[in-house]
Amino acid sequence: MFKNEEMEINLGPQHPSTHGVLRVKLRLDGETVVSCKPVIGYLHRGVEKICENKSYFQGQVWTDRMDYVASISNNLGWAEGVEKLFGIEVPRRAKYIRTLLTEQNRLASHLLWLATHALDIGAMTVFLYAFREREYLLDLFESFCGARLTTTAFRIGGLREDLPPGFIKQAQVFQDRFLDCVDEYETLLTENRIWKKRTIGVARLNAEDCIALGVTGPVLRAAGVPYDIRKAFPYAAYGEMAFEVPTRTEADTYARYLVRLAEMRQSHRIIQQCLEGLPEGPVMAKIPKILKSEVNEVYHPIEAPKGELGYYFVGEKGGTMPYRMHVRAPSFVNLQALPKMVEGRLLADVIAAIGTLDVVLGEIDR
Amino acid sequence: MSEPNTPEVPPAEAPSGPYRYDLAASPQRQIVLPKTAPVPSLATYKAEVLAQAAADEAKWQKQLADFEVAKAKAEAEGKDAPKAPVRAVPRKDDNDLKTPWPVEAVDPDLLSLQGLLGDRAEEIFQQAGELVCQVKKEAILEALELCRDEGDLRYEMLADECATHYPAGKDFTFSVVYHLTSISRQKRLRLRILIPEGFAPASACEIYPSANWMEREIYDMLGIRFTGHPDMTRILCPEDWEGYPLRKEYPTVGWGQRDIDFREDRGGVLNRIAMTTAGQLGINLKQPKAD
Amino acid sequence: MGVNQPSALEQVLITTKVEKVINWARASSVWPMTFGLACCAIEMMAAGASKFDFDRFGAGIFRATPRQSDLMIVAGTVTYKMAPVIKKLYDQMPEPKWVIAMGSCATAGGPFDSYHTIQGVDRIVPVDVYIPGCPPRPESLIYGFMKLQDKIMTSSLADRYKDIFEEVG
Repeated sequence: MFKNEEMEINLGPQHPSTHGVLRVKLRLDGETVVSCKPVIGYLHRGVEKICENKSYFQGQVWTDRMDYVASISNNLGWAEGVEKLFGIEVPRRAKYIRTLLTEQNRLASHLLWLATHALDIGAMTVFLYAFREREYLLDLFESFCGARLTTTAFRIGGLREDLPPGFIKQAQVFQDRFLDCVDEYETLLTENRIWKKRTIGVARLNAEDCIALGVTGPVLRAAGVPYDIRKAFPYAAYGEMAFEVPTRTEADTYARYLVRLAEMRQSHRIIQQCLEGLPEGPVMAKIPKILKSEVNEVYHPIEAPKGELGYYFVGEKGGTMPYRMHVRAPSFVNLQALPKMVEGRLLADVIAAIGTLDVVLGEIDR
Repeated sequence: MSEPNTPEVPPAEAPSGPYRYDLAASPQRQIVLPKTAPVPSLATYKAEVLAQAAADEAKWQKQLADFEVAKAKAEAEGKDAPKAPVRAVPRKDDNDLKTPWPVEAVDPDLLSLQGLLGDRAEEIFQQAGELVCQVKKEAILEALELCRDEGDLRYEMLADECATHYPAGKDFTFSVVYHLTSISRQKRLRLRILIPEGFAPASACEIYPSANWMEREIYDMLGIRFTGHPDMTRILCPEDWEGYPLRKEYPTVGWGQRDIDFREDRGGVLNRIAMTTAGQLGINLKQPKAD
Repeated sequence: MGVNQPSALEQVLITTKVEKVINWARASSVWPMTFGLACCAIEMMAAGASKFDFDRFGAGIFRATPRQSDLMIVAGTVTYKMAPVIKKLYDQMPEPKWVIAMGSCATAGGPFDSYHTIQGVDRIVPVDVYIPGCPPRPESLIYGFMKLQDKIMTSSLADRYKDIFEEVG
């Protein structure tokens, strides 16, 4: 009756805490994870193939639906990648507005991560608090581009339109109360005994492993490596912004939670600088109606909320569509680290590990 | 019990389905194979520029010669001399596009990498501020190892690895591109190999473990097998998928799209219509394996 | 004594059909399954969260298992790899069960007309309510859900199993 048998179980693809349609094959010895194998592809929609058959202007629509939690970051990656391919310089005001919206979107993404991660671990209240602020941000996006989630916010060469009237005032209202809201989440979680028990020392991944496995974003920064593409390879208007790159050295789930909360405060700071220093001028560069590329290839990385989001384009001579479009999705690469994080740990830690990686399946499967 | 006076109506033929979308004619199903293989390269660009300049010069010389002939003819006939030709200046577009052309490599990283690799480095150049080094396909592992370990290079992270299909390439069919990042020195480098169909390049998993899933994705999407990879299986598509979707001869909607209409109605009676209609549409009908 | 005058008994009793009571009970406590596929799942979560409070319609209890739920909200793109799983989940749900196809992808494939996408979830499972939008706003989801409640209220037990009765004979 008491045999030492290993058991194989499936987590997903329908599981409330896998953030979509992730499937994890687990081999268990009692409660301990012996081996872990993520199986992906349940949301593979062929975005790269579709974008190869759409013009440079059209393709941005599909980037919204990859990382649907941070669609403006994806739009920025696409727009800046294409601009790099054609050598287009964007007006300064457009750069500021892009930075402003991208940082607001980072807040929305981190809020959704906080809500679902806490919900997975068992803290229901944070979910309702975080969604309250997120709705406000989504209303701001809606006033800018007419969509809450799938924004297609930018155009190649700048923006389609300037900020709508009243946007800055509304954004300032949000700015004035947001820091208090972050403090509110902290009172719910930071010193919470259950939260600390579930997160401290769980799903460790040290800096060497992070770099070897290509893990970027808050996971890498929680391991003590201050690598942020906004600082290392500045794009948009980040070169003109004053902000810090928060890091921790514990490299566990709790450290990543603290890093993300600190990042929210830094994003708040960047948004404030954008709102105050918004330059005047046009928002669209002068570009032809039809973009025809030369033989060229570019790789443009940006710092998405999840990590390094890179767009790779190959242009052919006279082509109006990308010859090849490839997305280096941060979640795809980060998820590779899951076996390293959970093997030898308890089954319940797998849930925390998936939550702390902040994966979005639309981006993993593309 | 029909009326005796009603004329016999021949039974109407089953409609061929005007409501049905003509899948075969859908633009998403059409394949347009590219005629060129756009591999950016300084040598090709230089050759193109030279050829273009030579063509322009030849055109200009021809114009001049034509003018001379016309002038001589006009003189002989006693007419007014024709207008002298004006050399055409290239039209300048009124827009903000500054196409980034490939330029000579001046970055110390590229130069030292070329020095280390010797003749195994086929070409180095810079384009759009990015460093590119094309390596011989057999030497990619050595190049990656040099980039990671060499003291003045230290590219610690493989950020991305992807491949492109070039059906019009002369002696290659695919390019595999490695994007390396140096976190400590804040630099980026692109290594590239060009490989023919059927060639299996060495897997980078030993040097950069992050290449594992990226190479599986390349295999899934383009069908390039990597030697020495721990688990060379499909990652995104199901195991029994046919073809490699990101190849240029693969339509956006097509080969792979199988009709898996296995819907049942609420009572549990199988809806068999789908099976026959799928056959009419010429769709590769295949029931998925219930796993 | 007038025959048409209501008796004392009818003043205190509400007469109705059993079917109506059952429908009323079903319509006001639909338990949806937590089943997010893609972008629409985020809007589904937003519908359940603070601002839009899906709970007001008796549908706030998102169950994590199909065996406890009545409603499957297919929120997102259905792919070939996922289709057998959806079918299996649908089969595991107890009768009576309903399906809402939320968003363009679940309705008709949406913008993803590609090799790995199924053009609409109705190729796999029968759908009761289609909600357009990419993604639909939470208000649309709530409206679609109210349409489903209307459908449940007007459904009849006899009609529902007519197919089976005819098949059996």
